[in-house]
Amino acid sequence: MKIDAPIPGANYLADTRNYAWHRPPDIMDYDEAVGYMIDHIDEPEKKELIFAMLGIDAHITTIVTTLLLQVVSRGKIGIDLAILIAGPLARYIEIAAKDVGIDYELGIENKDRVAITPTLLKLSLGMALDVDEEDVQNAVQDTVQEAATESLMGMPTEQAGVASAEEQSAMLGGMTEEEPEDEL
Amino acid sequence: MTFDEAVKKSIKQFMAGKLLTETAKLKEDGIFYSPEFFDDLEEELLNEDPDIEVEKELEDED
Repeated sequence: MKIDAPIPGANYLADTRNYAWHRPPDIMDYDEAVGYMIDHIDEPEKKELIFAMLGIDAHITTIVTTLLLQVVSRGKIGIDLAILIAGPLARYIEIAAKDVGIDYELGIENKDRVAITPTLLKLSLGMALDVDEEDVQNAVQDTVQEAATESLMGMPTEQAGVASAEEQSAMLGGMTEEEPEDEL
Repeated sequence: MTFDEAVKKSIKQFMAGKLLTETAKLKEDGIFYSPEFFDDLEEELLNEDPDIEVEKELEDED
């Protein structure tokens, strides 16, 4: 049996200091981590970048994810703490966007929910819409009749009837059944 | 759950006002960057009058 897994003991041979996230992170305190990220965001270049991203309708969650991945990859903050400080960072960016007057979207809204419209509300409350039911019934019947007679695969009408044998023969290219010749 | 989803969930919880109770227990003074801190910061930043700020700065210079 072939197992797709490391060789037992491989961890003792691998150099675990190759990547920053293999070492203990620099910051392990919640407040210190938030403070570091706020200072990081307040840098003019970073602020410009964040506002530019908001300008192209990027969600705040996307911006926060990008910023956190940067610091995690540099070994500044551990991945668990990064998830914990995501909320305060999003809030800080939201406040900054409000302060400057930039339109923003958090990106945590549930897109699957059904939007409440006046029509939906009327239907859910059982209120009659402004359409006459008889008109709707007549319109449906007309549509069904048209579909039945005019379409290619529709049911033939009484006037049209079934084509005669000659007519059918003409439609098939005037071919008549030939009697098989004797083979000799 | 991917990192993006975890971040999204964390933001949702924070915006809903849910506190990091277990993390707060680790510190005697509690968490400094709490939702209240950000509410105060927002109020302070959005309600400040730019004209008053300029006047204050000019007074300080004199």
